[in-house]
Parts: sequence; C-alpha cells; structure tokens
Amino acid sequence: MTAQHVRTHAIDVSSILRDQKRTDAPNEPCIKVENLNLFYGEKQALHNVSMEMSKKKVTAYIGPSGCGKSTLLRCINRMNDLVDNVTIEGKILLDNENIYDKAVNVAALRRRVGMVFQKPNPFPKSIFENVTYGLRIQGINDKRILEETVENSLRGAALWDEVKDRLNDNALGLSGGQQQRLVIARAIAIEPEVLLLDEPASALDPISTLKIEELINELKEKYTIVIVTHNMQQAARVSDYTAFMFMGELIEMGTTSELFTNPRKKQTEDYITGRYG
Amino acid sequence: MIRLWFKSGTPWVWLNAAAVSASLIMVIGVLGLILVRGAGHFWPSPVVQFSYQEKDGQIQTIIGEHIDTSITPAAMAKSSGHVMADDEETLVQYLIKTGNRDITGTDFRWILERNIKQQQTPAELMVVERREWGNFYGRLAAVKENGKIIAEGDQAWPVVQSRIDDALSVFKKITHLEKKEVGAINYSLDQLRLKQKKLQLENRWDAATEQQMATEKTELETEYKKYQAQLSELYQQIRRDSLVAKTENGNEVEIPLNKVVRVFQPNTMSVFDKIAHYGVKVVEFLTDEPREANTEGGIFPAIFGTVLMVLMMSVIVTPFGVIAAVYLREYAKQGFVTRLIRISVNNLAGVPSIVYGVFGLGFFVYILGGNIDHLFFPEAAPAPVYGTPGLLWASITLALLTLPVVIVSTEEGLARIPRSIREGSLALGATKLETLWLTVLPMASPAMMTGLILAVARAAGEVAPLMLVGVVKLAPTLPLDGNYPFLHLDRKFMHLGFHIYDVGFQSPNVEAARPLVYATSLLLVLVIIGLNLSAILIRNHLREKYRALEG
Amino acid sequence: MDNSKIGQHISGQFNKELEDVRNKVLTMGGLVEQQIELAVTAFSTGDLEMAELVIKQDHQVDALEMAIDQECMQILALRQPAAFDLRLLITVIKVINELERVGDMAERIAEMAIQLSSIDNKHDQYYELEHMAELVQEMLHGALDVFARMNVEDVTSITGLDENVDREYGSIIRQLITKMMEDPRNITRMLDVLWIARSLERIGDHACNVCEHLVYMVKGEDVRHLTQEELERKMKG
Repeated sequence: MTAQHVRTHAIDVSSILRDQKRTDAPNEPCIKVENLNLFYGEKQALHNVSMEMSKKKVTAYIGPSGCGKSTLLRCINRMNDLVDNVTIEGKILLDNENIYDKAVNVAALRRRVGMVFQKPNPFPKSIFENVTYGLRIQGINDKRILEETVENSLRGAALWDEVKDRLNDNALGLSGGQQQRLVIARAIAIEPEVLLLDEPASALDPISTLKIEELINELKEKYTIVIVTHNMQQAARVSDYTAFMFMGELIEMGTTSELFTNPRKKQTEDYITGRYG
Repeated sequence: MIRLWFKSGTPWVWLNAAAVSASLIMVIGVLGLILVRGAGHFWPSPVVQFSYQEKDGQIQTIIGEHIDTSITPAAMAKSSGHVMADDEETLVQYLIKTGNRDITGTDFRWILERNIKQQQTPAELMVVERREWGNFYGRLAAVKENGKIIAEGDQAWPVVQSRIDDALSVFKKITHLEKKEVGAINYSLDQLRLKQKKLQLENRWDAATEQQMATEKTELETEYKKYQAQLSELYQQIRRDSLVAKTENGNEVEIPLNKVVRVFQPNTMSVFDKIAHYGVKVVEFLTDEPREANTEGGIFPAIFGTVLMVLMMSVIVTPFGVIAAVYLREYAKQGFVTRLIRISVNNLAGVPSIVYGVFGLGFFVYILGGNIDHLFFPEAAPAPVYGTPGLLWASITLALLTLPVVIVSTEEGLARIPRSIREGSLALGATKLETLWLTVLPMASPAMMTGLILAVARAAGEVAPLMLVGVVKLAPTLPLDGNYPFLHLDRKFMHLGFHIYDVGFQSPNVEAARPLVYATSLLLVLVIIGLNLSAILIRNHLREKYRALEG
Repeated sequence: MDNSKIGQHISGQFNKELEDVRNKVLTMGGLVEQQIELAVTAFSTGDLEMAELVIKQDHQVDALEMAIDQECMQILALRQPAAFDLRLLITVIKVINELERVGDMAERIAEMAIQLSSIDNKHDQYYELEHMAELVQEMLHGALDVFARMNVEDVTSITGLDENVDREYGSIIRQLITKMMEDPRNITRMLDVLWIARSLERIGDHACNVCEHLVYMVKGEDVRHLTQEELERKMKG
C-alpha cells in the first residue's frame, strides 16, 4: 500500500464534517415576524417579537404555559382574529407579503397556512369527507380529483394503509393517533405552504407521538413547519430550529442542537434543564 | 343514633326515592285512569232488562247498559231526600244508559238497587247505533221496505243486517259524492265567483271573459245536476228500508235505516264477536267524522287537525328559532344587548299561553290577516279569507309560543360544539358561513331536535290560545283536500284538546260523552307521545352520528 | 458560575443524583491525587509498602470509574438532561476516564519504584523528577479544584504549567541519556526512571485534558486541540 494508494482511496472524513455543518447553515426565510405586539384587551400577550422561519424546515416554539407560543403560532394563520378584543401590531411576512394587510383574504391565507390542533378534531363525517372538506369548500367536486387527493393526503400522513378499506366510516371511530394523522391529512389535502402544529402530540400515547414525529420529519420535505410543544425532548427530536419564549417575549432562537446543548441565555437554560426560573 | 343516621345521608336517598316514586305513581295513575276509562268505552257491555219499582209503586221495565254504581252512606242519602230504612247503612244506586232519547228525552237514569225486583239479560235485546238521537235499546219487531213489512219476528234479524249493510254502502257513496265531487264543484264555482269579482274590481271584466266564465259555469252546473240526480236516486234507495223496534214498554218505533250505523245484540255476542266489535268501533273512532255534536262517531278531523297544526308549527318554528339562535350565539357581539335578548326570550317562555292567543288574534288575525285580505283578496269581501282565525294563524301563534324553547336549546347546542371543530374548519380556509353550514349546524342538529321535541310537546297540548286563533268544534272540511292548492291555510280546523273540552263540558249530553272524553284524552296523549317519539328517534339517530365529541 | 447550579432543579431527586455524581468524581480525584503522592514518595523513599498500597488503590479507582459511568448512563437514560446538565454528565464521563488513566500512571510509577528499590537505594539524584511530580500534582489538583468550583477563569494558569512540565521532562531525558552514556550498566535503571518521568508527563497532559473538558462543561465551548495562546485568547474573548 503506497501513499498514493491511500490518497486515492482516502476515507472521506471532510465530506462528513461538511454535511454536519450544512444542517446548521441558515436557510431561505419563508415567514418573517417583525415587531409583533399582541394585546388581549389591555393585557399584552406578545412583546415585540421578531423572528424568521426557514423554508422547508421545522421550527419549534417552546416555553412554559401562557408564554405566548400558541398565540404567536395562531398569528401566522390569523386564527387570533376570531378572538374578541384582540389587537395586533407589527407585521408577519409570508413570502414577503404582509398577512395583516387589509387586502389579504383571510380564508385564502388559511388555505396557504394549514393548522393542526392540540386535540384531534376530525369532523363527525366519514374519513373521505374529512379529507376532502377543504377541497369541497373550494368548489372542487370532481370525484376523480377528490379520490386522488384523498389517497395522496392519507399516504402523506402515513394513514392510507390503515384506513384505505374504510374510507366511508365515521372518522370518530379512529384512534386518537389516527385521528391526529387524519387531521394532518386533511390539512395537507389543500396543499398549504406552511403547516402549523399546535401541540400535535400532547393528547397522544408515546407510540402515536413517535408516529407523528416521524411524519413531521417526512413532511418537512414539502412544507415549512412550525410546531408548538410542551415536550422539550419532542422539540429537540423533530425541529431544526427552536425558539424559546417566556412571558410573551422571544428569549432565544437558534438551531435546535445549539439551543439544547449550549443555550446562550440563562432563562433558556433554566427552562430546558428544569431549574427554578 | 338518629343524628348518625342523618349524617350518613340515608334519609336524603330515601327522600329522593320517595319523590321519584310519587311522581311515577302520579304519571302511571293518570295514564292508567284514562287508559281504563277511555279504552273501555268501546267494549260492548251487556244490555240488561230490569223490573223496577218506581216511587209510586208501579213496576216498570227498564232496558239499558249498566254504566256506573254509586254508594252513598245513609246519612247523606237521607239529607238528599231519600227515604231510608233504619237497617240500611248505604244507599246503592245504578246509573243506567237507557238511550232512546227521542222517546224519553234522556239517555241516562239513576235507579235504586233496592227497588230492582228482577234483573235479566235476554238474548234478543238489541242496540241500534243511530246517526241521530243516540242509541236505541229494545227488541226488533220487523223490517219494512217502502212501508211494507218484509220480515217479522225471528226472520227479521238476518234481514235487517243485510239491509243495513246495503244502506251503509249507499251511505258511503252519498258521502263520497257530497264531499268529494259536489264539494269540488262547489269549490270551483266559488273560485269562479271570486275570479269574476276580482276581474270586475280590477276593471278587466269584458264580454270575452264573461262569455268564457259563463261556459265554465254552465259546464259545472250540468255536472252538478248530474251528481244531483245520482244523489237523489241514492237517497231514495237509502230511505227505502226501515226497521220497526219495540221499546221497553212495548211501544213500536220505526227507525229508517239511513239513520242507522249498526245494529247488534250484545247479550248473544261471544268474546271474539266482542273483540271484533271493539276493533270496528276503535277504527271508526279513529277514522270517522264526529256525529251528534261530537258525542258519537269518530274524531278523525281532530286528530288530523292536531297533527297538521303541530307539523306546520314545527316547520315554522324550527328555521326561525335556529336562525335566531345562530345569530345570537355566532354573530351578535356578546354584551348587554344579547343578554337582554336572552332574558326576554327566557321570559317569553313563561308568558301564559292565552296571552299568545290574544296576541295572535289581535295581531295576526286582525291586523296581518285583515291587511292580507285587503291587499290580495278584495274580491272575497266582506267575507274574510285570512282575516279570520285559521290554521295558518294557529300555527304561527303556537310557533311564537314555542320559539323560546327552540332558541334556548339550539343555543345550548351551539355552545356545546367544541371550539376546536370550528377552528379546524376555519383553518382549512372555510369562511364563517361555510363553517356554520357544513359543520356547526349539522352537529347542533340533535340540540335543535331536542328543542323541537319540547316545542311539539308543548304545542300539541296547548288549547287555550287555539280557541282564539283557529280551532272550532266542528269543521266542515279538512284543511288538506284534493282541491287546489290542497293545503288550505285559511281554513279552521279541529283539535283534540279542544275536542276534549267541547265534548266534556259543552256538549248537550255530558253524561253520555264522558267516556269519549277519556278516549280522546288517551288519543291526545298517544298522539303527543307519537310525535315526540318520532322526534326523539330522529334526534338519537343524529346524536349517534355526531357522538364522541365530548370524549 | 458557581456549583450551586446543580442544586437548582425543580426535581430534588435529580439534584441529589447530580450532587452524588459530582461527589464521587471528587472522591475519585482525591484518591488519584493520593495515589500520585504515595507513588512519588514510594519512589523517592523506596517504601515498598507504600508502593503496594498505590497498586491496591488503583482497583478502587477502577471500581469508582465504573460506578460513576453507570450512574451517568442511568441519568442520561432516565432524565434526558439538556444544556449544562448534559454537558456536565458528558464531561464527567470523560474526566473520569482521564482520572483513571492518571491512576494507571500512578500505578506504573509505583511498580517502577518497586523495581528500582531492588536495584538501587540512592535516590538523591532525582530532584528534577520530584519537582516535576510536584508540578503535575499541582496541575491535577488545580483541575479538580476547577471541577469542584465549576469556575474555569483560571484554567489557563493550570494548562500553562504543562509547558514547565514538558521542559522538566526534556531536561530529565537529557540527564538520563547522559547517565546512560556514562555507564551502560545504568541503562536498565535509567529506562525505569524514564518510565516514571514519562508517566508524570502523561499525568500533566491528562490534567490539561480535564481542564479542557471542564471548559466545555461550563462554557459549552470546545477548546480541545488548541495551543496555549489560542486557549488564552478564547478564554478572554
């Protein structure tokens, strides 16, 4: 074995090291939050939040209860509009377009920004009807398109094999984990750009939780995902970026590996290591 | 010890159990009473022949059905003028239905038990149910055709049966002709008259239309004459036969067969005959029209009117109530005003129903109906069309009466739908209206049905307001028939509740009608239970469909 | 940074577990320090009993290493620690590895001391060696002190000593080579002494590694494989 031989058949360590670097590299931003303030009546729930979320990455919001992470999430598809007495200042840019602009059609926005909630909330209809709900609202009634979408969405949500023989059964007959995946299928059936997940696994058992997490990992190939979770390990497992929020403020945001091994702020550290704040 | 017992909570359990049992017993008691009294009415009871010593000492024969027995203590009997022997402790009296009102003037009489010398149930005693004057009790003497006797004595019975069957079928034909065909012609003639008047009022009456109308009119009149001829022929046919019967005193009475509904001899009937008879009577009760100031015959128009009115009320109240509830819960800004509205709605439920009746009469009938008549039916003046109580106004009044129930329960239902479901729909890009329509309302439908059930239960039993806005004791025609536009919202109608009141308290022969009151009450309860059950079934079906949302 | 960081968890049990790990590491460190002390004394005085003790102590050190390893693994599996706690445990695992190596070095010194005592009884000529031993003991003590206080402000002064150790090591080697050239009969003995010097030099290196691990634990920064100047710059900046 000569040195020449070793050089040509070198074990490529540098490429491995490079790959590791790349996951940490910043990405093209999809959602930009700029100086967002939110008030419920007199009470301020979000204080001057600014952040960027990258395209086709998973961003997790963590923080104690009532820190405003769900509120922030619900700002991205304007779900907070439904709450009485809410005032929102600042901007959220989705593909450089302010979603709080007056000209924005909220229903159209919500079609671009899908959302999945804490508790599985399938409609009391058949599985098929649940998945096609969003399409029917858009006036799509072509049976061929609907069937195709149902299959693709359910496959996308890793549920197809479990329910393909009973698409006309009531969705409420599914287990909690299946229901949650059905709801995700329902959300991706209308092909959004962004998927907001509000504690999607908090009501599920560990195995279903893992399935959902695995699903999130697959979904980030196609969608920008923002997830709110109470479960820090979950945030650590599924997300590329993590934002820590406390008392309505964004304390720290960074790559998940960085934030969980070496947070910059003491508040973040205290929270993720379970210390007295 | 006692304190310990109190502390253990056992007394409260017993108290609750007692309260529940008391309620149960009362409900069962009410139902049982009307069931026994009402259902027993149709059972043919034996006809008894009494030898009775009148006060003046004469022995008399009394024929009739034993209806009731009253036992009075001696002291009370004495004070009400009866002569009592010393050893008698009670005075026993029988209430006998003697019938033959056309001869004696009464249907019933009380007789003293101690004056009955003899009591027997001879087989040949018969009961004749008549279209007028109530039942006849006596013995069959002969059958006559055109005044000539064709059968006598023992042969008379089979002959009279077949003759009555003939007469009944002819009677049916007559009724059909009169109600359907002639009724339709009369209706058309009336419409024609109104049309003519309308055209005249609008100054569009010219020679051409006059010509056309005249031809139509003559056509109808020829048709009418044709039917008239048929009818008179049938009338002749039905008047041909009659039966001769002997009363208890041996007087002979001739009863034309066109006045007879049926003849039977209860004393010779076997149990199966009686069951058959019972069935026939019940069917008659359910499907026939009333006779003799509602005290005989059936109550079909009342059942029909009740059900139709309740259905119409449901059709009106459901959309109104649901829309109001949806607005209150989903669209209105919650605050002082909505609270005020809710309080008002809740209080409306407590307003006495007669007030609604007054309101319905004053506002719907006179103001709304009057104006409608004025604007749309000037040709009918001075006769009112909608300016008089009728089905429409009764339904609307009851709808108003039951609106609070529907609003409150629909609101409850809407409030119970989890936020997450709405948000799920909105997050898929649905607008608020789409969310409501596709998700929220279907899910709230069981609650709406609950509201409707309560509304129906209340409306079907309501009588007081109806007396002001549309119910009559005898409606000549049903509000639904074969003449265009089929459903006649302006017509007055009959109602079971009012029927009970009318028969029980307003009829000339209260005693005779009492069993009918029970039977009608039973039927009213059954109708309400039926309406409720169907609504409950629908609700349960819906509930099953949308279950598991709370879990 | 202060070491009370361990005791601030909401879970008291977790506090106890971490405290326990920390105490065990400090115990192990103390044991290893004692080993070096004893080994060096055994060498300089030719006390065989002491040397035997050092060898015996090494078993205890090994057992401690395994116990701490086990405990860290359990905490990792059951508590899923993050941030400082995670770094603490990872560092502990690495530090005890270093300490175990130091223990092995001490054992070797003791073995050499036994060997030398049978050959030669005059020890006066090993002043440099004793000096070097003092230096590395100071380094190790400093490193353990940093761990105990969780304060890495002064690590550069500890790692700085490594240069002195290396210098001493160089001069000892030169001395030994001179002696070997003077008299080839000395070679066997000198090689044993070389082993001791070598072991002491390794202990210094291990102490430096411990310091680097501790910097990662406290600051979350990886400072391995840096020169002294680079390290100083990083600690300041």
